[in-house]
Amino acid sequence: MQTQDADKGHGQGGSPAVNGQGMEAVLARMDAMQEQMAYLVRRQQKQEELFAEMTPIAKEILAAATERFGELEKEGAIAFAKELLLVTRKVIQHYGPEDVRQFGDAVVKILDTVRAITQPEVLAIVDQAGIVLQQADSAEPIGIMGMVRASRNEDVQKGMAVMMEMLKHVGHAAKAMAESRKESDSRKARLAKALGPKRQKKVLGTERAEPAPAVTAWAKKEVADMGPPTAGCAVPGEAPKAEPAEVVMDGVGFTKDGHLADPKAWTRDLAVTIAAAQSVDLDSPKWKIIEFARADFEAHGASPNVRRITMGTGIATKELYAMFPKAPARTVAKIAGIPKPAGCI
Amino acid sequence: MANIATPRRKVALICSHGGLDEAYPPLILANAARQSGIEAFIFFTFWGLDVITESKVDHLHVNLAGNPASGMPTIIGGLPGMESLAARMMKKQMEELDLPGVREMLQILDEAGAQLFACELAMNMFKRTKSDLVPQVKDVITAGDFYELADGAQIVFT
Repeated sequence: MQTQDADKGHGQGGSPAVNGQGMEAVLARMDAMQEQMAYLVRRQQKQEELFAEMTPIAKEILAAATERFGELEKEGAIAFAKELLLVTRKVIQHYGPEDVRQFGDAVVKILDTVRAITQPEVLAIVDQAGIVLQQADSAEPIGIMGMVRASRNEDVQKGMAVMMEMLKHVGHAAKAMAESRKESDSRKARLAKALGPKRQKKVLGTERAEPAPAVTAWAKKEVADMGPPTAGCAVPGEAPKAEPAEVVMDGVGFTKDGHLADPKAWTRDLAVTIAAAQSVDLDSPKWKIIEFARADFEAHGASPNVRRITMGTGIATKELYAMFPKAPARTVAKIAGIPKPAGCI
Repeated sequence: MANIATPRRKVALICSHGGLDEAYPPLILANAARQSGIEAFIFFTFWGLDVITESKVDHLHVNLAGNPASGMPTIIGGLPGMESLAARMMKKQMEELDLPGVREMLQILDEAGAQLFACELAMNMFKRTKSDLVPQVKDVITAGDFYELADGAQIVFT
């Protein structure tokens, strides 16, 4: 607006008029500023007054506080607080925000429970039970027959029904807990799998240093994904001891039950020869199994049994039996040049 | 090459109990037989029928009462809930050993070529029909049929 006015003035002619108008505006501004300055000064003064008034009080407070702290220190409170801080720090180090959130949920649950058990009806039942317990001395001992007789009483029946209902709920809750734990376990497993390859590569790297026979990377990865066999009946507990060669054929030693005496002496050509002797025709799905068996043996020192082969290769039990009709795991071990598999599954 | 011609072996197992612990021996023996290239079949009779009954196979229990090996006094073992508790504990242990469940074992046995049969008399007694049984059961046969099938087999009663 002002500039428009100024333009107009300029257009009409006479610069003094323009200067007069501009000066007026500037003066008005300065008036306003002066007012503001006065306000600021007043505030500053008030603050100074306040400080002047507060200083003695603050000094007193400080003195009192120092005194009090001295007393507290004497009482060991400071040390206690320090310890408390340390504890807090430790807690923070060990627990993440997720844990705190879960803790919050738990608190809510605890409060719910407390509320539920402090309902008047529940308290009445507890009260009754307390009375009964107080009179427990006068209760007569009963045997099995007494229990059976007592179970005819309607109140006892009702009580039993309530107990059963409670047990049912406890069982239900336990199941839910187990399931949630399983879920978190599977999450852990997924995480481990996601983080796994690096570590596995290291393990395989050490193996590669050996003059290993030709086993495809596929089989090695499959074995690494599976993890070591668990101990027990289902899988071989310990690696079978190396048996001395009983028979030597074409310069290759075999144990008395027909397995290669030295697994390192295995070659793919030898596998074909052994397979032929077992009247097995090695095609590509069969090679896949042989490679898996060898990789598993190299990684874990134990020959895989039927269950491990089916789980590791994804080949159904039925197909496996169809490929190697007679004692599949043993035939596979023979062809793969590894010892006889142990375990019963 | 070590392909020694062994006479064809055959084993006939009789499963007459329906406890979780009692179901495994015949199943594992049959499976081990198949893995060793031995022909195997199982005859399920009396309580053993529970092992192949669709509605019961997943809920087999361990009987603690009257079982001195359980290490639990009979009076405690007989309390309600103890059986399922013991069964759950056993299942957990089996899981740790990577031992398949009964239903899975039956499936593995079937795929491995072991044959499962149900006893006709017991079926009539418990009023069950073939449709009540798991699909892996090949047939319902009599004791006489069993002996015919078991011809030349080693018979194991469990």
